[in-house]
Amino acid sequence: MMENTVLIVDDEAIVRESIGDWLKDAGYGVATAESGEEALELIAKRDFSVMVLDIRLPGLTGLSVLKEVKAQRPWIQSIIITAYPSEETTAEAKKLGAIDYLIKPLAPDDLEQLIRETIDSMGREPTVKAVTEVMPKPAVEKVIEVGKSFVLTRDSLRLLVEGLAGEMEVVGVKSRQGKYVFDTLDSFDELCLDYDVTVMPPTKYLLPAKDTLFRFTVGYDSKVIPVVEAVPRALVGVHPYDIKAIELLDVAFLSTNTDPNYNARRQKTVIIGVDCLHPSPNSFSPSMGTRLADTGFDLLLTDIGGEFMVEIGSERGAELLSRYAEVRQPSGDEIARQKAVRDEALSRYQLSLDVPKEQLPKLLEEGYDDPYWETKSESCLSCGSCVMVCPTCFCFDVEDELALDLRGGERFRRSDGCVLVDFARVATGENFRYDRASRLRHRILRKGKYIMERYGKVGCVGCGRCVTACLADIASPLEAFNAIAESARAKEAAARLVREAKAETELYTPHLAQLVKVTSLTAAEKMFEFRFKDGSELGHRPGQFVEVSILGLGEAPISISSSPTRNGSFQLAVRNVGNVTRRLHTMKKGAYVGIRGPFGNGFPLDDLEGKDVLLIAGGIGLFPLRSLIQYILNRRESFGRVILLFGARSPAERLFVDELDAWRQRPDVEFYETVDRGDQDWKGNVGVITTLIPGITIDPKNTMAAVVGPPIMYRFVIGELKKKDLADENIILSLERRMKCGVGKCGHCQINGVYVCLEGPVFTLDRLRHLREAV
Amino acid sequence: MKPKIAFFDFTGCEGCQLDALNLDGDEILALLGAVDIVNFREVMTERKDNYDIAFIEGSITRQSEIARLQKIRERAKVLVALGACACIGGINCLKNHVPMEEALRAVYGEAAQYYDTIPARPADAVVPVDYYVRGCPPVHSELAKVIKALLVGRKPDIPNYPVCVECKMAGNICVFERGMYCLGPVTRAGCGAICVTSGRVCWGCRGLVDDPNLNSQKDILKKYGLTPDQIIEKFKIYDTCTEVIK
Amino acid sequence: MTKVNINVHQLTRVEGHGNIVLNARDGRIEELRWEVTESPRFFEVMMRGRYYEDVPHIASRICGICSIAHSTASIQATEAAFRISPSEQTLLLRKLLYNAEILESHVLHVLFLAAPDFLGVGSVFPLVETHKDVVLLALRLKRLAYNLAEVLAGRKTHPISCVVGGFAKLPGWSELEALRQRLEDARADFDTVVDLVKTLKIPDFVRETEYISLQDRKEYAYISGHIASSDAGLTPVEKYLEVTNEFCVPHSTAKYTRNQRDSYMVGALARFNNNHEQLSPRAQKVAEEIGLSAPCHNPFMITVAQLVESVDVVEDSISIIDRILSRGLQEEENTVRVRAGRGIGAVEAPRGILFHDYTYDMNGILLKANCIIPTNQNHNNIQNDMEVLVPQILSRPEDEIRQTLEMLVRAYDPCISCSAHFLNVSIRK
Repeated sequence: MMENTVLIVDDEAIVRESIGDWLKDAGYGVATAESGEEALELIAKRDFSVMVLDIRLPGLTGLSVLKEVKAQRPWIQSIIITAYPSEETTAEAKKLGAIDYLIKPLAPDDLEQLIRETIDSMGREPTVKAVTEVMPKPAVEKVIEVGKSFVLTRDSLRLLVEGLAGEMEVVGVKSRQGKYVFDTLDSFDELCLDYDVTVMPPTKYLLPAKDTLFRFTVGYDSKVIPVVEAVPRALVGVHPYDIKAIELLDVAFLSTNTDPNYNARRQKTVIIGVDCLHPSPNSFSPSMGTRLADTGFDLLLTDIGGEFMVEIGSERGAELLSRYAEVRQPSGDEIARQKAVRDEALSRYQLSLDVPKEQLPKLLEEGYDDPYWETKSESCLSCGSCVMVCPTCFCFDVEDELALDLRGGERFRRSDGCVLVDFARVATGENFRYDRASRLRHRILRKGKYIMERYGKVGCVGCGRCVTACLADIASPLEAFNAIAESARAKEAAARLVREAKAETELYTPHLAQLVKVTSLTAAEKMFEFRFKDGSELGHRPGQFVEVSILGLGEAPISISSSPTRNGSFQLAVRNVGNVTRRLHTMKKGAYVGIRGPFGNGFPLDDLEGKDVLLIAGGIGLFPLRSLIQYILNRRESFGRVILLFGARSPAERLFVDELDAWRQRPDVEFYETVDRGDQDWKGNVGVITTLIPGITIDPKNTMAAVVGPPIMYRFVIGELKKKDLADENIILSLERRMKCGVGKCGHCQINGVYVCLEGPVFTLDRLRHLREAV
Repeated sequence: MKPKIAFFDFTGCEGCQLDALNLDGDEILALLGAVDIVNFREVMTERKDNYDIAFIEGSITRQSEIARLQKIRERAKVLVALGACACIGGINCLKNHVPMEEALRAVYGEAAQYYDTIPARPADAVVPVDYYVRGCPPVHSELAKVIKALLVGRKPDIPNYPVCVECKMAGNICVFERGMYCLGPVTRAGCGAICVTSGRVCWGCRGLVDDPNLNSQKDILKKYGLTPDQIIEKFKIYDTCTEVIK
Repeated sequence: MTKVNINVHQLTRVEGHGNIVLNARDGRIEELRWEVTESPRFFEVMMRGRYYEDVPHIASRICGICSIAHSTASIQATEAAFRISPSEQTLLLRKLLYNAEILESHVLHVLFLAAPDFLGVGSVFPLVETHKDVVLLALRLKRLAYNLAEVLAGRKTHPISCVVGGFAKLPGWSELEALRQRLEDARADFDTVVDLVKTLKIPDFVRETEYISLQDRKEYAYISGHIASSDAGLTPVEKYLEVTNEFCVPHSTAKYTRNQRDSYMVGALARFNNNHEQLSPRAQKVAEEIGLSAPCHNPFMITVAQLVESVDVVEDSISIIDRILSRGLQEEENTVRVRAGRGIGAVEAPRGILFHDYTYDMNGILLKANCIIPTNQNHNNIQNDMEVLVPQILSRPEDEIRQTLEMLVRAYDPCISCSAHFLNVSIRK
């Protein structure tokens, strides 16, 4: 009498053990498997009388195993056990030949009785067909995997959403006052999956309007504590254009200078998208290639009428889907239905681009001076509505807020937009984009050209929100979009980007540096020498800048005035103009500030080596240039002639007076100086700095000129240098803009498509010829 | 040395000062620890004149108030206009649209001769003002922000962009899409768009931004259905003393 | 020769500007005046010509403390003019919002404005050192009222969500639940206040006068009912002018009123005298404990009556929230149909009965407005009280006389800047 062996298939060890022990006591042979795959392997090797099978298995589902076993060993009787019974699965299981369906927790003697009855009714010998075919072992394929699509019933979707709600916050599309919004779902029934567009994009969950970067305490033992908080969250009902917007944000915030706050939220966000079948009349996503998405989501749903097609976009999506919901393979009809539904939706779009989007960057470049900007922007309110509702806008401002007890506070960022009046304004009052036309143009060019060129992703996703939100009806970027290049590499890169983004918390956190010396230069300017508290070196290149923090007041960008060859400390020369610099000017030796950086590109030292260098400093342009001068003089033998020109407004405003004299004395330096206006004691040159240039002879083939000074000075100096036949690529300038974050994210320092904090502040003139906003 | 502060009220409803007492209990205690209140007629009997910072509430509507404000300006190192009436004139300016004699006669009849009144105006029409805490009433956070800024010696970060920015940040649906009319696009933000969030529209109580596009705002109101007269009436409530109405 | 010269210029710890003048020689009074010197506001002129949606917005700004009272009176007057009946839900929410007003105003007056006199200090600020817990308690109660108004109308000073016909935004469910808990906790806080007030010495002064307030069969009236006079019985609200009879006096920019006698009193004591039986049992017990019983003719007891009312509105608010939580909140359609007409809104502001009388044209534009402010109605009574009180205390030290007169005026909790904007009525020569 052959021992009857029962195969127990359940992923929970406690179930396997408890049933197994009971059955062993009752005299049965017992084998166990913890997954469908393992079960099939065992069945291939030996025979069983009965299989006790859990419906819910990781990987291969119980129903699939049942099907497979029936195909290979039809005489094995199966008993299904589950904790989540549903009519559908019961019917399906019975259809596939299961004997019965028991609900966990089981009464073991019920099970044992059932097994006994089953075996008794079976007979001893396996029933085989007359012709015995040895079935080849089928390949055990992982059914639910990335790239595959399945059919999901509405009930199953409900199970998925409710399952997710058990482990994370679930945000979905709800209706409100006749419109649609993303908000926390209180119940599955609130979810609207057939909507045109939401008022605000789902990106606000990744970049909230106010986002604390760190908290701090001030005073004797000042501390800075980065705040990187994120809650696990699912976004349900995200349209493909918003999915594409999130892909852009991923590149902007994760690929270089990984943003810790965005990263934390992104890692914990599950994206469940849905195809848009009834678009807003203002939408033009087909023209932007964002109507459909094949990357950037964990799951994507398409309503095929009563049921959904669900496409798996990531491992996480596959895992969540199989954990909470039942799906089945789609029939050919259903696959066709999905395509039909999508095609039908296409016909509902009312707006489209007149030119292929590929032509847009060039068109926008050529249209830089078009009267369109001026005319359209006349009715612009600079109200910010367009940027606030835009899923691809992510510029921000950074503010310090103190508590009323003045003992501590927080530094936070909040949404900002380039169309707002003061976006590009610096502390001295100069506003680099003060007229509406330039702001409108910048926004449109960003959407159609700069973003694509910088990040390789489309800058406008055609959602149409700004078209709706703009009261003056001027915001539509329909004529300014860019193409997306799709390639397998791009798809993989997009997925890999999020997976591999490093967790880092230090991006916005300043390091403490102690003030070791203060020197007065003029009435309004001082030089400060700092040393890092932990003794580290700044490690900068001449021409770079740092962000100086005084907690509670803010952060200000300051050029580094000392050479990196000076060890142990670094010097910053600062003019008293704003909140931070004004306080800095009152600080005494021993005080602490926060330092981030160094940022920016610095002077091209390799290009300068071996050449004659002509260094021209106007006023406080000497602050950053001094770093280069000191560096060159420290390695004097690596350079040819060194010609220094310095111009101050008046003798009282001359900077670094002792050093000027020292440079004048050196036989290996040609030093010339002038003042705009003299005084009774002044015996030197009087006149603007350009007056010094004609008197110098240079070899244009072997000379590089570096010029730093107030904006007004550049045009004239360049004019004089061009008269000396100096080529554009041999003229170097350092430009000022409003640097805030220093890491190419907040947007404030942009000159056209270029971030000054990343690609500047040092530029060669040939580069600047292509930047219209530059000089 | 704790800075000495004082509160003065001119023609107004006194809501701004009293609303300051609605700050959080901890904040009030922190504030009392950071400053010395030397003059606050509404809640204190003692009155001293050695204040460093003077908060002015209410607009100027009588001849006698001009001299009184000037004296306060002489004594104070810093003068802060508190609330819409002091900052931009407030609703008191609505009476400016009626000739003074007519208004007096309508209200007092023959007794009109006893009462003096001049067109209502903000504090900075009479004396230089250093800081503004805007709104009718101002939001607590902005009052706290200005006080903190005064205590640490920095310029407070007050927005120069319109209410629309904060309205969108709050997730509101634009009231123009719901058949109502709003002055948000030309009104200075800082209030968190509280009125729209509470179900109404922006009346403009914080005053205009520095460079409002008034023509565009008027065009928009017209486009959505208001007549030119109705548009002016909307602006009159808070912007009487600005270039819109003048 | 003993001279008494008291000139209190711009009385402190009251809302608005007023002066007390007393000159006496050898026991004979030469001059005794309560003067209102507040700048005239001209609200009637401001509101004329405005669309009905903006009228409550402006009316609210008559006063910074009782902005909800003015707002409500304005809304009710407009609803009366347009013949609109608000829904039951609206009435519940409106009453709850109103309770926040009463609570905040009374707490401010009792603990911040009046109490310092009884504790021998000039303001609450020094009490932070000596009675920190009491100050925190006072701030806590005030903030509770503030948050209650915030949840219902967006903010307390110049409420936003209450509109003609209903509410533009409904309060949040969990916020209401949280407030209910805080209101329950407030009971213990009020027990502490009552214990404190019991120890204070209230001046003993009696002068009977006419007491006028709203009266409603259904409840202790704040925003509904008829005008009740302790002398003359009930008058419908529409006939308010017959009761108020405003007139001007040369030394005051505010108008005065009188009815059956030379002057009458409105406010917490008037309400208490007329309606004390309708107070909740808890409030009645508090009244008994502190020694307030009807009819009370001592104006110094107005402050005590306010404390009793505060305890009562806490109970009423809890019961309203319970009703709301049990019937639920529904979004209600609010279409206002404007029409030509006249309507009167009468409410009990914290300081007393307040009337807004509006006339609209057929396009919903306000043609005419008349507002009778509670403090106006008390000015005459204050003058008459002083004329009886001063002879009784004239022999005391001048400082004590001044202090007592100040406390008398303060007891009325005057809201002077409200009272100084007024309208077309007859002038007394």
